[in-house]
Amino acid sequence: MPIIIPTLDFAALIPILAIITTGLVVLLLDIYVEDKAVLGYVSLIGLLATAIACFGLLTQTVAPTFQNMLVSDGYSLVLDLIFVVTATLSIMIALSYLPARDMQSGEYYALLLFATSGMMLMGAATDLIVVFLGLEIMSIALYVLAAFNRRQLGSGEAGLKYFVLGAFASAFFLYGVALTYGATGSTNLQTIAMWFSANPAYAHNPIAMVGLALLLIGFAFKIAAVPFQWWTPDVYHGAPTSVTAFMSVGAKAAGFAALVRLLLVSFGAIPDWRWVISWLAVLTMTGGNIVALAQKDVKRMLAYSSIAHAGYILVGVVPGTPDGVKGILFYLMSYAFMNIGAFAVIALLEQRDQIGSSIESYMGLSSRKPLLALMMLFFMFSLTGIPPFIGFWGKWYVFWAAVKGGASWLAIVGMINSVISAFYYLSVVVQMYMRSPTEPSELEFAPLSLPVTLTIALAGAVTLLLGLWPTPLIKLTALGIFG
Amino acid sequence: MIIQAIFIVMTLCTLGGAVGVVSSRNLFHSALYLILSFFGVAGYYVLLSAGFLAVIQLMVYIGAIAILILFAIMFSRESAMNSAKESQANRQRWLGLPVAMGLFISLIAVIIPVNWPIQQTAPTTDMVRDLGVAFLTSYLIPFEVVSVLLSVALIGAVMLAREENPPVKETK
Amino acid sequence: MTQLIWLVIALPIFGMLFNGILGRRVGYKVVSIVGPTMVFLAFLVGFGAFIETIRRGGVAVTVHLWTWATIGNMFSVPINLLVDPLSILMVLVVTGVGFLIHVYATDYMIHRDELGHVHPDRDFSRFFTFLNLFIASMLILVLGDNYLMMYVGWELVGLCSYLLIGFWYDRPEQAQAPIDLGADHEPIKLTPLLSPAASGMKAFIVNRIGDVGFALGVFLIWQTFGTLQFDKIFPFAKFVSENSPSAIPWITFLLFIGAMGKSAQIPLYVWLPDAMAGPTPVSALIHAATMVTAGVYMIVRSNALYALSPTVSLFIATIGALTALFAATIALVQVDLKRILAYSTVSQLGYMFMAVGVGAYTSGMFHLTTHAFFKALLFLGAGSVMHALHDVIDIRRMGGLRDKMPDTYRTFVIGGLALAGFPLMSGFFSKDEILAKAFEFSPILWGIGIITAGLTAFYTFRAIFLAFHGQPRDQHLYDHAHENHLAITIPLWILAILAMFGGLLGLPSAIIPVPHLFDKWLHSIFMAHGEVEAHASLLKELVLLSTSGIVAIGGIGLAYFFYVVSPTIPQNLARQARPLFNLLANKYYIDELYHEVFVKSGLGFAKNMAQGVDRLIIDAVFVDGLPKLVNSLGQMLSHLQSGYIRHYALATFIGVLVMVSYFFLR
Repeated sequence: MPIIIPTLDFAALIPILAIITTGLVVLLLDIYVEDKAVLGYVSLIGLLATAIACFGLLTQTVAPTFQNMLVSDGYSLVLDLIFVVTATLSIMIALSYLPARDMQSGEYYALLLFATSGMMLMGAATDLIVVFLGLEIMSIALYVLAAFNRRQLGSGEAGLKYFVLGAFASAFFLYGVALTYGATGSTNLQTIAMWFSANPAYAHNPIAMVGLALLLIGFAFKIAAVPFQWWTPDVYHGAPTSVTAFMSVGAKAAGFAALVRLLLVSFGAIPDWRWVISWLAVLTMTGGNIVALAQKDVKRMLAYSSIAHAGYILVGVVPGTPDGVKGILFYLMSYAFMNIGAFAVIALLEQRDQIGSSIESYMGLSSRKPLLALMMLFFMFSLTGIPPFIGFWGKWYVFWAAVKGGASWLAIVGMINSVISAFYYLSVVVQMYMRSPTEPSELEFAPLSLPVTLTIALAGAVTLLLGLWPTPLIKLTALGIFG
Repeated sequence: MIIQAIFIVMTLCTLGGAVGVVSSRNLFHSALYLILSFFGVAGYYVLLSAGFLAVIQLMVYIGAIAILILFAIMFSRESAMNSAKESQANRQRWLGLPVAMGLFISLIAVIIPVNWPIQQTAPTTDMVRDLGVAFLTSYLIPFEVVSVLLSVALIGAVMLAREENPPVKETK
Repeated sequence: MTQLIWLVIALPIFGMLFNGILGRRVGYKVVSIVGPTMVFLAFLVGFGAFIETIRRGGVAVTVHLWTWATIGNMFSVPINLLVDPLSILMVLVVTGVGFLIHVYATDYMIHRDELGHVHPDRDFSRFFTFLNLFIASMLILVLGDNYLMMYVGWELVGLCSYLLIGFWYDRPEQAQAPIDLGADHEPIKLTPLLSPAASGMKAFIVNRIGDVGFALGVFLIWQTFGTLQFDKIFPFAKFVSENSPSAIPWITFLLFIGAMGKSAQIPLYVWLPDAMAGPTPVSALIHAATMVTAGVYMIVRSNALYALSPTVSLFIATIGALTALFAATIALVQVDLKRILAYSTVSQLGYMFMAVGVGAYTSGMFHLTTHAFFKALLFLGAGSVMHALHDVIDIRRMGGLRDKMPDTYRTFVIGGLALAGFPLMSGFFSKDEILAKAFEFSPILWGIGIITAGLTAFYTFRAIFLAFHGQPRDQHLYDHAHENHLAITIPLWILAILAMFGGLLGLPSAIIPVPHLFDKWLHSIFMAHGEVEAHASLLKELVLLSTSGIVAIGGIGLAYFFYVVSPTIPQNLARQARPLFNLLANKYYIDELYHEVFVKSGLGFAKNMAQGVDRLIIDAVFVDGLPKLVNSLGQMLSHLQSGYIRHYALATFIGVLVMVSYFFLR
């Protein structure tokens, strides 16, 4: 039996290849380059090239490639752009954050790029095996990144916790893949869907359903949905802030990327998951918000609030319509800017040898650093969903999709939740604008170095401008359709 | 009949080994039980006429992973070798038990009544070749991606193992 | 000018950016020029658009700026500004009164010491930043041609209000001296006034409750009509109400909940009196003249919807009437000059809601306008007194100030007369018009209204007589009091003139044969089926008019008798009816009630959830058991910061079990 060499469409892989290549180049240069910041800039160049490749591919016709394991469609490319934005902003934070804590090293950038490639694989995968591999590449890189600050036990603790609990999630996911394969005889998303339509009698096959349940659990863990969110606050809090910024957006986006494709492509004909996702959304929004209310530390507060945001995005999953998908993409992109922007401010205000940044460090920020305070105000308003910031449109879009898809009650729960979230987001604003500053001698601030300042300025500008005129982003996310 | 007997023996190995792993008070013994459990699984592969997988199971899981674990235990904690004091259970066991049982029962209840689709064609005889072909054709991308995964794991391991200054201060 | 109407919003935004970013550097003098100038220029643009609207004969023009967002092919939000008689009226009120108050604030926000040295407020530029932002937000609210922009403005003005109430965030709460009832009687204790920061929070929370209603209402509009554009909703309202009869009542009710919050109606009025903790120009501009009237504006704008839901309209009229009476009774015994005015604002807003509730939308807008004049005037007058007395606002420590502050006194009396509805003042005509329309609708509403009118006249002049007449009660304060600078007195006089002659805009056409300018002006914004035309006969109109006049004069006379002729009467009365007096002085204990019922239970719930859900339930309830919970609480709290993986794993497994069982058992 001769081996028939399959046709290989490498063009579809360009974004992923570009990222992996950049990662390898960074690793190689690490040997020769003394000033590790150069590696960060090399990574940024690679990311820029990736972004250009994505835009170029967006106009191409779409076909599944590599024996139907991957697809380069509008959906995956828009997601790639989200990951690129996330990675770019996080690397810019890291360029300031790492040297200030003597953590600068080449591996950091390489691992971050590899994690990004894993995310991209999850977005492009049309086979559960590739989803799993992407998930593992992302997760393993993130476990190490979370533990990157060797000087602090908290960081190591974060890495270990993430690893142990993440391994559970991987196991559930893999078991889910196995059961789904057992029931349908395939791991390919489209073939699974075809099996369901060919065997309507088996639509409620318990094996397939339990397989779906376990797959959902695996994803719920990655996107930090209640009740699988337990790791989130500790890990986000303990990890270096530049890493937290990256994974709070990137890992979540990647989880949603694969989850949405799996549910809509493979299980689109089986509505049972809608109810489960609805309840996950309710629990996640409410749980995240209520616990976030009690936090005294801004970094930890944002960790809980990121749980709540996963809940809002889940609202967009429920209708299972193209509008919902576009809403999710819009939300993720806007979340990348506003959340990483907020973390950049935290990274700037964080004390050198401390984890997190207590709310006191924001007292009277408006009089000490008016522009920084203004940017943080943008991010907090945007995360609350106050117009005209971009976060408002993200919420509006997913809630609108939910209403249109017949899940108005979820949209109402979501709106009530965003009211609750106003209290803790605005408490930061209150500290900044309506309290007297603490004695300057008590707090030493990292000097405003250029990359992080640039990150904040960029994220702040986008948060406002795309809020005032979201049409470009709406048009971009409108391309996010399955191939 | 003989097949059934072998199956029972292998099951005893797998499950007994697994129980031993979690119940033994000595970490070193736990690792040895793990080898027993791996061995049982390898036996299953043989029974399923997947000889190649069985060999892989023996080589990778027993030959590499379990041995690595044993080395790690020997290097890291002297006490783990000899002392037999530490219980593996904690206060949570009485809650953990029903949860684990519940999950087990629901999974069993799902698996038992199902008519599994049974492959009509005869099992392949040349498994190594089939695997190789699959890796180079339909599973080309996963195969390549695994290499990325492995290098990420490698870099990560080196990162974490590298000597670095001790922590400055403990934080809660 | 109409096409340039966006400048009305852009100019204050420019002022905001300038003051916010450069304000500290350029010094207070530049700020005090830039801030008011921007509002004045906005007023000029608005005035130009006003003239053009007159020339067009009141035809509405929509100015398209850009398309904010288009989602899918069904949902799009164009940023359009609607220039029609209603929005132009609001623009003129907001920028006109806003400009005067800006000018006033340039002097109010600086302090002069004994030597005449000038000390601007620590956050002088921040104040004008927020004030300019407020003007811009309010204009977005009134100029938007869709409910989404209205909502955006609605949220923004709420935010400004919150920021400005808590402007002096580091000031503590203020104790209030108990009310003395004579030597051998126990004085009536008063609760302390909330600190500015707490007041801001209170306003914010109460407004959020209303805003949820408003947001749900907007959502329901979108679901029902598929659009948020005014001009695409109102023509179809009748059609929709015939096809789905429950939609419009729900929409109007939910929107009204928003109005209850923003315009301080029962039961959400509690924030407004405490909002007086903000600087006085803020109280005048936001919490009297403009923002709090947003609810009235919204209902008038949505008149096509409200006209189709008589039940909700009746509800609004009832709430309005009750609020008017309720707040007026509280105002009778307050001792804080600004709070008297605040309760009177709540009460007057009640009148406006009564008007729009009975379908007299024009009368509501008329009263809104005159109220903006005289209430801004009264607040600025109160601020002038405060400024002169170094922030003392307790009327029991004033007295005799009319000699020291003649301009403030005269203008304050003019404002007071207008508020009291003294014949021929602006408030007389607008209030009478509401009462006449209410009488057509139901004599009961009229009865409540006329009682309130009497109470209003009484408490207004109680304040005037106590503050400006009689002997000084605090000689030290009196000696240091002085009339303020021109930046304060000129706006007072301009507003006083408006308060006197504003009534000419809407003379009762049944009696005086001149056209009702307001009616004519606003006519085009009402749908054909809108306005309830009041066809009152001349005689009836005359009787009603003179009744109001007599009641107003009677109230003033009674106040004169009580507080000037024989000042012992009030104290004796208070002794006689001590429980009632106590109840009123403590504002019916509504704040305490809300605190017990909502705040405490809410906070407790949130706290328990926050601590409990994440770790305590797992750690304490399941593992240690409830008995140990109390003992190990301290331990628990330290555990809060580092959770155990095993607990997380267990909790995750429980989730897995639930999820798998659901899919299996389904």
